[in-house]
Amino acid sequence: MSGPRYRRTREQDQRLVAFECQECGWVSYPEEKRTCKKCAAAPATYERVQLQEQGEVLSFVEQVYLPDDFESPQLLGMIDIPQVGDGEPARVYGLFTETEREEIEVGSQVDARFRELFDDGDRPINSFKFSVPREEKA
Amino acid sequence: MTRDAYVVGAGMVDFGTRYGDSFDDLLEEAYLSLLDDVDKGVDPRADIDAIWYGSVDLAEEGHSGATVGHATGLFEKPATQVVNACATGSDSFRNATIAVEGGRADVALVIGGEKMTDDTGGLIELAAEERVWRGRGVTMPAFFGMRATRHMEEYGTTREQISEVSVKNHANGAKYPHAHYQFECSVDDVENSPTVSYPLNLYDCCPITDGASAVLVVSEDRVDEFTDDPVRVAATSLSTDSFQRAGDTALTHFPATRNASSGAYESAGISPEDVDVAEVHDCFSIAELITYEDLGFCKEGEGGQFAAEGKSRLDGEVAVNPSGGLLSKGHPIGATGVAQISEIYEQLRGEAGDIQVDDAEVGLQHNLGIGRNSTGSVSCVTVLERP
Repeated sequence: MSGPRYRRTREQDQRLVAFECQECGWVSYPEEKRTCKKCAAAPATYERVQLQEQGEVLSFVEQVYLPDDFESPQLLGMIDIPQVGDGEPARVYGLFTETEREEIEVGSQVDARFRELFDDGDRPINSFKFSVPREEKA
Repeated sequence: MTRDAYVVGAGMVDFGTRYGDSFDDLLEEAYLSLLDDVDKGVDPRADIDAIWYGSVDLAEEGHSGATVGHATGLFEKPATQVVNACATGSDSFRNATIAVEGGRADVALVIGGEKMTDDTGGLIELAAEERVWRGRGVTMPAFFGMRATRHMEEYGTTREQISEVSVKNHANGAKYPHAHYQFECSVDDVENSPTVSYPLNLYDCCPITDGASAVLVVSEDRVDEFTDDPVRVAATSLSTDSFQRAGDTALTHFPATRNASSGAYESAGISPEDVDVAEVHDCFSIAELITYEDLGFCKEGEGGQFAAEGKSRLDGEVAVNPSGGLLSKGHPIGATGVAQISEIYEQLRGEAGDIQVDDAEVGLQHNLGIGRNSTGSVSCVTVLERP
């Protein structure tokens, strides 16, 4: 896995920065910035937006069989992350941390927590994972 | 110029874990099986004008149409490799059909193959290890499991209804000689099989399979030279959808399938009720259940009921995956779509043996594949009919 590939979207990965198409309102997250992947505006006018550090679970699975690099079982969700302010949320797949399958369902509100996702040789690759809000944990 | 295209022959190999055979062995076998199948025979060197070859090349056999030239001995023919994710085989067929309909070829060989067992890392690794937010850690069972969780939540679809798809396809596969798996299973067996990606279990997932298949597509001008019992290509349609987020309906449906199928129905001048037999993309049980809805076999949200009531069984409203589908037959990517066309061809000619659907007049073939933050970003639908 290449370090440069991660570097390209590092700011977005680490700060939850997204881009909103001014034509259709779709939120590009991460990386796509010149054409709109929803309405095909080309060139698209994108505005930089900040995402919140929380979101809503649209669906989820618990992966049991995974390549050796991953811990398993691994809880994974499709999450809508709202913007700070108005506008459409960004829709992403996100890994969970510190959460059991029984603790989430479709519609659950979850927090985005900054974590080391994996390492790229010697360097850690940091980004967000999701978990149920801390105060709701036993 | 536009004219009708016909299928006049089909070749299949036994799908399975074929460690002893090379990629070339499989292509050769499918090709020889096709030559043997054409009613009035074919002289490949004289007759075949062009070749479309489908493989995503997991076995790294050359990334070129020349690969099929080598496997068949057919050199000096234009041979094109088509890659389009899980729709690779069906898109190869589509491209050959376009050429025949458009007058650039009279006789086109379509051949697809994949040696899944020659790739040690596999697609799970590819899917799971790329990029941070582009589905990092997302395997194929997870993509589809996500749809299952959501479909159950949104429509009250039950785990048992999802299992019924797998039960049906294994019952069919046990009767189909080329299927990878030849066992039957019960709803309990599906639900007690090991969890792969909750809510999907092992029997909800298609196996890792080697295979190849071939068909011959010819123009209306020359069809009589090859058979008196051809199958007409009524429509081929391809659509794509966003990699990144997909449409907002993509949580429970695949917009690309809806687009491709409505295009195919329109161009064939038929509606979903006219389809007698279908080979569809059941890489996971939930995929077939959703596909019932996307193809218009039942209303949105009623896929579970459709399966549980037996409407997709061999004797149901529309027989879906008589061959056992990908769940039982296997899913060697480049071969899959071509094999489905071969199976529909057999059905429409009444040659499908133990899995024959009574009076099949109209058949449909469907593939679905790929995505980054979504899945089902490409879909191909073909309609074949008795002339």
